[in-house]
Amino acid sequence: MTAIDLPVAGKRPMSPTAVVMLLLLPIAVINAIGFLWPVVNLLRMSFRDSEASGALLETSGLTTWINVLSDSFTLDLITGSIGVSLFITVLTLVCSYPIALYLHRCSGLWRTVLLVLVIAPLLTSAVVRTYGWIAILSDQGLIANALLALGITPPRLMFNLTGVIIGLTEILMPYMILALLSGFGRLDPRFEEAALTLGATPWKTFWRVVVPLTAPGMALGCLLCFVLAISSFVTPKLLGGGRVFLLATEIYDQAIVTLNWPMAAALSIIILVLFGFALALYTRALRRIA
Amino acid sequence: MDERPISPVLKGVTLVMFLFLLAPLIVVVPISFSGDAYMAFPPTSWSVKWYGAIFHDAQMTAAFTISILLAIVVTVISLLVGLPAAYALVRLKPRGAEALGSLFTAPLLLPTIVLGLAILLVFAPLGLLGTFQGLVAAHLIVTLPYAVRVLSTALATLPIPVEEAAATLGARPLTVFFKVTLPMMRSGLVSTAALCFLVSFDEVVLSLFMTGPRLSTLPVAMYHHVEQQADPMVASLSVLLVVLTLVVVLIVDRTAGLAKTFVK
Amino acid sequence: MIRTAPEETAGLKQGEGFLSLRGLTRRYGDFVAVDDFNLDVPKGELVAFLGPSGCGKTTSLRMIAGLAPSTSGHIVVNGRDITGVPPYQRDMGLVFQSYALFPHMDIAKNVAFGLEMRKVPKAEAAERVREAIAMVRLTGKEHHRPAQLSGGQQQRVALARALVVRPSILLLDEPLSNLDAKLRDEMRNEIRDIQKRLGITAVFVTHDQMEALTICDKVVVMNHGKLEQMGTPHEIYEHPKTAFVAGFVGRINRLAGKASGGVAEVAGLKVAAPGFNGPVEVMVRPHRVSLSTDGVQADGERHALPGTVTRATFAGDILEYEVEAGGTIMKTEAATRGGEAVLAPGTPVTLSWRPQDTYVYAAS
Repeated sequence: MTAIDLPVAGKRPMSPTAVVMLLLLPIAVINAIGFLWPVVNLLRMSFRDSEASGALLETSGLTTWINVLSDSFTLDLITGSIGVSLFITVLTLVCSYPIALYLHRCSGLWRTVLLVLVIAPLLTSAVVRTYGWIAILSDQGLIANALLALGITPPRLMFNLTGVIIGLTEILMPYMILALLSGFGRLDPRFEEAALTLGATPWKTFWRVVVPLTAPGMALGCLLCFVLAISSFVTPKLLGGGRVFLLATEIYDQAIVTLNWPMAAALSIIILVLFGFALALYTRALRRIA
Repeated sequence: MDERPISPVLKGVTLVMFLFLLAPLIVVVPISFSGDAYMAFPPTSWSVKWYGAIFHDAQMTAAFTISILLAIVVTVISLLVGLPAAYALVRLKPRGAEALGSLFTAPLLLPTIVLGLAILLVFAPLGLLGTFQGLVAAHLIVTLPYAVRVLSTALATLPIPVEEAAATLGARPLTVFFKVTLPMMRSGLVSTAALCFLVSFDEVVLSLFMTGPRLSTLPVAMYHHVEQQADPMVASLSVLLVVLTLVVVLIVDRTAGLAKTFVK
Repeated sequence: MIRTAPEETAGLKQGEGFLSLRGLTRRYGDFVAVDDFNLDVPKGELVAFLGPSGCGKTTSLRMIAGLAPSTSGHIVVNGRDITGVPPYQRDMGLVFQSYALFPHMDIAKNVAFGLEMRKVPKAEAAERVREAIAMVRLTGKEHHRPAQLSGGQQQRVALARALVVRPSILLLDEPLSNLDAKLRDEMRNEIRDIQKRLGITAVFVTHDQMEALTICDKVVVMNHGKLEQMGTPHEIYEHPKTAFVAGFVGRINRLAGKASGGVAEVAGLKVAAPGFNGPVEVMVRPHRVSLSTDGVQADGERHALPGTVTRATFAGDILEYEVEAGGTIMKTEAATRGGEAVLAPGTPVTLSWRPQDTYVYAAS
């Protein structure tokens, strides 16, 4: 063998693979301890048996799952959560669409300012925004006092489903607006102009040109909002005041208050399954649009 | 610029929806200056006493300190762990880099209520509940994906010839990284730091699972406060938080803006 | 087994070239980007790697700089085999198409970078930076950021940065293609002047035949990873060895024909084609073709081909014709002298050219 047949190694002390492993080691450890293991453990926990008091037993079985899927309370919880989340998603879409369309149409500094106003709520804690809604919806709040001044007896707007729906819709709007905007790229104003010159009325143009072109953005926004709605906790808890039962709030109560961990784990997995369904539905819808 | 007229109907509807979107943030400001003992809108008298009350509330000030410390520690670790990971994934492109990238950002796909529970179930037996270390670990799970994602994008958009130029001029790989790559990533690093800081500082649900009676973060303390009594102090606190967020965003804009003058 | 010095194994004798490539090859899977590249560049010469994009010229340059690994073969500089040496120990000056200036450093710091890496004493470094910046006529811009300079100025900084370290070889990767036409001519001459003044060996990668012909001592024409021809600009232009070189360097007319017994038959013409048999391509450059309306006959002095004008283009300094002749469209061009009539399409004409301007290649 001659000297030049050997690849000249330079002065690198480590092989590229070793360098990659070393660089990825910290994040891999954190990911394993804080994500992979907890998720696997969550699945196992839902099969653990527990005493009536909630104390964990060493044995495993299907008891928790049988309870969850046969108890009318949990079944109502699941269907109710899906229904409320769907309703909030549609409401969010209706409220966000005009803003997104307007943002898409305007330009320059004005657009930047409005975009900042859309993003600003995202950067504000959900606790702060929910607190703001309490100030508006509570018995001493803005709406109640305004109605009283007009001599109308105000309806209850808080500690019930109405409050939760109003609050969550507003909380989720920025996500929907941004998702819609990301999908509006295909909406060239010239398409609309073309439709108008071809004799379509503005209303027809909207339904036949604008809506189909923006459908992918709507699908993405709806997926995002449904997923966020069904798993949101702070707003339903504070605006529902313990009188509105949804999956997310129930998970927290089971985990922290009742200390029934297998039940909390099972409900969490149901949320993940619903996520999977939503995602599958979204992919199918997207394929149909495209 | 070709201007196309926007229909007045759309303008009107948009205005109403914007009012709805910003209403909770807008009402917080007048309430923070309320002189009432309880929350009412509109307030019957005005004062700044609730701003003072924040600083006399030992629980709130302690929670605030914890939150700031936590956000700083989490941000620093996120950068230290995220940057090598992003570099390995983007530049060294090991086999399965895409799958690894998805794995490292996967925690963002889980709702925090599920992630919080999952972490609680693992951390509780380890005695990490109600500890600062436990909070750091939990927050890292949600900040690291952002860090890896933003830093990867920053790295991927850097012009590689500039680094190659440094190498041909005699700079060893580590020198290239510290003298050329890192300075060029400045705006990406600042955005990452700001994002991690804000995500950690605003995190409620994960922290709710991790905090105990002796250790609380500001959002958790505010949550419990609102749950029990929605007095105007939370409004004053909220205004302070919005200002803090604005400051962070301004810093980012300033540095990112400066960075733009560097790159053509 | 006897251990032999690498340069001997590589088959290089002293004095053949300052920069030598021996069987340099780069494969990506089945794709051969550079195939068995052999080259000797004498000290102080400026050599162009010329070819279309994807021909392997940039890959070759990057292998010389150490930025891309070679699959096999050797790179020898001044008798030392540097194959496998990392780029930061190669002592090459590389100028990039995109300038690749450090955006976070001012001009002086950019130029000083290589000296800093070589731990040149501060005072000496400052003096050399000053000289290098003066050489590219940017004195006074020391504390500007790259983004504040024009494209041409940025490329001059890149040149100063590469040269200040006194590299053994200067490598230029399409250094002019991001500049507008006027600046390009200026920079081209400036690079050539500086290279000659410093007597530095240089490799200049380009896809622009004008650049390669006008400033380089030697031109290496590459295609599909293979060296097509190497020679002086004159050799490359006047005696293209392959049909590809004839077509890539300068403009060309192509006529299909058939050869047997050392003579090719093309559109009724008989063209000397020693050593060819079977289908051939006969080529002639447009400006070597004369066009006349008074029916020149073919003789030993000139080949002649009748045709019809299909298009006339007046381009100011030259007058171009497209003529239907020999079953194809032939182009001619001639410098305008002023006052000549432009022939209308449909005019019958005769094209003629000298036998020595005729190239014959086997048809591909």
